[in-house]
Amino acid sequence: MVGSITPEQNSAAAEACKGALVDRFGGSGIDVTVEHHSNAKKYAFVRIICPPQHWIALAKWMKYDLGVNYCSMVTGTHFPEGSPERGWEVAYHFLRQPIQDQKPNTCTVHDVEALSGLEVPMEFEVFIPLPQGDSPTVPTIQNIWVGSDWNEKETWDLVGIKFEGHDNMHRVLNPNDSPEGFHPLQKQHKIRYHDHNEMYDDAQGFIRKPVDEGRVK
Amino acid sequence: MAQMWITMGPQHPMTHGLWTLRVKVDGETVVDTEAELGYIHRGVEKICEARDFTQITPYCDRLCYVSAMTWANSYIYAAEDLLEADVPARAEYIRLISAELQRLASHLMWLGAFGPDIGNLTLMTWCMRDREMFLDLLQELGGSRMHYNYPRIGGVKRDMPIGFADRVIAKTKLFEKRLDEYEMMLDESTIWLVRLQGVGYANAESMVDAGVSGPNVRAAGVNYDVRWAHPYSVYDEVDWEPAVEKPTSVKGADCYDRYRVRMEEMRQSCRMVLDALNKIPGGKNTNYANGDEMIFTKAPTRAPEGATGFSNYECTRGASQFYIQGGGDSRGKNPYRVSIRSPMFITIPYVAKTMIGYKIADIPAIMGSFDPCIGETDR
Repeated sequence: MVGSITPEQNSAAAEACKGALVDRFGGSGIDVTVEHHSNAKKYAFVRIICPPQHWIALAKWMKYDLGVNYCSMVTGTHFPEGSPERGWEVAYHFLRQPIQDQKPNTCTVHDVEALSGLEVPMEFEVFIPLPQGDSPTVPTIQNIWVGSDWNEKETWDLVGIKFEGHDNMHRVLNPNDSPEGFHPLQKQHKIRYHDHNEMYDDAQGFIRKPVDEGRVK
Repeated sequence: MAQMWITMGPQHPMTHGLWTLRVKVDGETVVDTEAELGYIHRGVEKICEARDFTQITPYCDRLCYVSAMTWANSYIYAAEDLLEADVPARAEYIRLISAELQRLASHLMWLGAFGPDIGNLTLMTWCMRDREMFLDLLQELGGSRMHYNYPRIGGVKRDMPIGFADRVIAKTKLFEKRLDEYEMMLDESTIWLVRLQGVGYANAESMVDAGVSGPNVRAAGVNYDVRWAHPYSVYDEVDWEPAVEKPTSVKGADCYDRYRVRMEEMRQSCRMVLDALNKIPGGKNTNYANGDEMIFTKAPTRAPEGATGFSNYECTRGASQFYIQGGGDSRGKNPYRVSIRSPMFITIPYVAKTMIGYKIADIPAIMGSFDPCIGETDR
């Protein structure tokens, strides 16, 4: 048995990351907190709320100084009823994996208890609030983490967040000939279902009627 | 020689699903590729916004029919993060056992589909035979062969039936012997070795940067497994070690390394299941009633506005992640936004680029060795 990351290692690493981020970006409007999941083992992660103008500086620093080497997920959310400065939000999820400078033709087997500093795996969550409007825009991080490339394509395709500077942006999940400006996860699009304009009207199906009701059979 | 584009798919045995690989060839050599996805996009994320938290589980089962249990578990952990549910220890053990049985079934499905790609039809029949054992076991838990709807927010649907543990032990031990048979057949087969060794190199750093995860990066010597790095369930209590393969070349892992790492993962899954049955609280031959506090704790059904839930889960093909925002309708019964991160959505475009420089005949071997699944890719 090789062992697992203990809660102590995990919270020490989270606090260290927070300290480093506050030292570097304190006072610039970037808000860093250490949060705990409420599922499974209640592990800690680092949550960052960053205004869009500081995002590229923060991203580069995270990748090259904090060792955050894995971009796992990009999520866009539409808040049409939100505050004027948070009409959209982009959430990035990053992982720091313990494989700094992997040498070719080697196999890393960690002594998990001895991991420390940059080697301790850590989750990062970055929220970027964007103002209300028709064209939410955030700079791309495609050239910092290659892994964000297709995630950003998907986010633009489904939610309509524009990634400024993204190379080769195209539809991935919707058909190539979808109308311009159609992004199905925006909240003005509702699911139509069984004669109801919105599925939300009757999610449980209690008032749903058969389509041929009243017709002579 | 003139270069030209060839379209492989959406109906092609290489694709293992519905997607298109456009290949630019110079004679027999691949010089450029492009992946086109989205053929079976079902809008699961949008549908989830109109469902309450319990109703979403069956949709997550259907993200990938080969590993329904792990996808449902992955969602459940995110929902538990959002709703702040407590889970009894016995339920966590049952989830671990069910997820590892699903991993065995999924890897067998992969091996069974990979064999015919390489020209070994016997392998498919053997793998289907053994996968049936594990599907039977999962059916005992969930009630159906493929889509189980088994985990619940706060526990599991029902306890293990009487005698289930003994059947798991018997079948797992039999399967450990069968794994040796597989290796005897494959590792000494010239066709198998010639088609896999030295083909499809992918190196560790480029894979991590591109977001590839799971067995595919562990084949390149990268020891990252969510199960020890961010342990969920009870993976820190059972006996196992991550399967990591030392790549055979400085260029990274080839198809053979990726095959080896999955065989080793199946061994580790067997080991975990057997150990978990020994350690399960309440005993392996006990059957608690549905909703008993040993297997289920009632969780809140409404999420506060602005709360978020996130889970990072080692699915059979890599790290699957769910991110949920609560407070959907005014009552908070539905999620506001569900975002699903599928490991294969990231991997397929990466794999398409690793094919450059190889022959057309190598494409099925390279693609198959990464274990693509289109259900979860297109969502």
